[in-house]
Amino acid sequence: MNKIHKEAERSEILTEVGKVIIPFIQIFAIYVILNGHLSPGGGFAGGTILGASMILHRLIFGWDNLISRLTYDRVMKWMCASLLIYGALKGYSFLTGGMHLEVWDVPLGTPGKLLSGGFILPLNIAVGIIVSITVYVFFKLFYEGTI
Amino acid sequence: MEHLLANYYETGAIILFGVGFVTLLAHGNLIKKIIGMNIMDTAVFLFFIAKGYIAGNEAPIIRSVKSASGYVNPVPTALMLTGIVVAVSITAFALALTIRVYEKYGTVDLNEIIKMGGE
Amino acid sequence: MRKVLSVALAIALIAILLFGVADLPTFGNAENPSNNEVSYRYLEKGVEETGAVNVVAGIILDYRAFDTFGEATVLFTALITVIAVLRRDEDE
Repeated sequence: MNKIHKEAERSEILTEVGKVIIPFIQIFAIYVILNGHLSPGGGFAGGTILGASMILHRLIFGWDNLISRLTYDRVMKWMCASLLIYGALKGYSFLTGGMHLEVWDVPLGTPGKLLSGGFILPLNIAVGIIVSITVYVFFKLFYEGTI
Repeated sequence: MEHLLANYYETGAIILFGVGFVTLLAHGNLIKKIIGMNIMDTAVFLFFIAKGYIAGNEAPIIRSVKSASGYVNPVPTALMLTGIVVAVSITAFALALTIRVYEKYGTVDLNEIIKMGGE
Repeated sequence: MRKVLSVALAIALIAILLFGVADLPTFGNAENPSNNEVSYRYLEKGVEETGAVNVVAGIILDYRAFDTFGEATVLFTALITVIAVLRRDEDE
């Protein structure tokens, strides 16, 4: 009772089409995450699109666990590191503002450019990574039945 | 009655809530009950976000300098983003529990589980 | 029998809630009680205090970033819980 079903055979059409389409989906997801403070979108929507591309990668190329690059250990390390980075960045501005310390603050920049808004861009990237890995691991667990 | 038709978003949200509630109660299959709970969550989100609309204004992305009364209220949208994530987590957890119930009893129907019950 | 009872209960519940909707202020009115000074403050000073052109992103990642932190923790906890439920130890 290791797997609930059998893995499908390797198919030529799916492999060739997947090699062309998956980079486009990932570039669109990265665009939505990076322009989160300039246009509608942000971390959650971009993270879901990135998770959908990872699910597609697992469905097409994952017939052997050695070949797939999204193994369980590596993905969980990325997620824990991303959550800790969010906590560290938010905790820095939270504590220095709450105790009224006068330490170095992130410069705001001009509104309308890509590198503006202080901590908003790193926080968007962290939230995007967390959401995409959550969606991918939910699919991987329900697809294989166990870890 | 005209007031109900003027607030069509809130009326539609409550009717959708009722549809989800009937789906939760009337079927015996566990998966359909989980789908009904998800529909009820979506209805609550629609009701809450529709409270922030102001007629004739535009989306809150500030490109040119305008007064603060030309934009839609952004606070309900920001509050419901967290709610959507919680709804997804609850659905995933309920589906994981259904897999465990299926492995133990062999069926997903609630009436047969109650008849077999007590194991 | 159970289906008829459940539909009747749902219709009664919807009727009571629709009586409440009939007393709500008009949809899209600018004088709603929910458009108070909090949203005006966020819209007026949002760009110069956070630097984000998208006001909703400035709210959830600068003014109320702690709520987003709690929501990321909810995602992580749900993931750990599903892994703990679906784990299968190697029996004999």
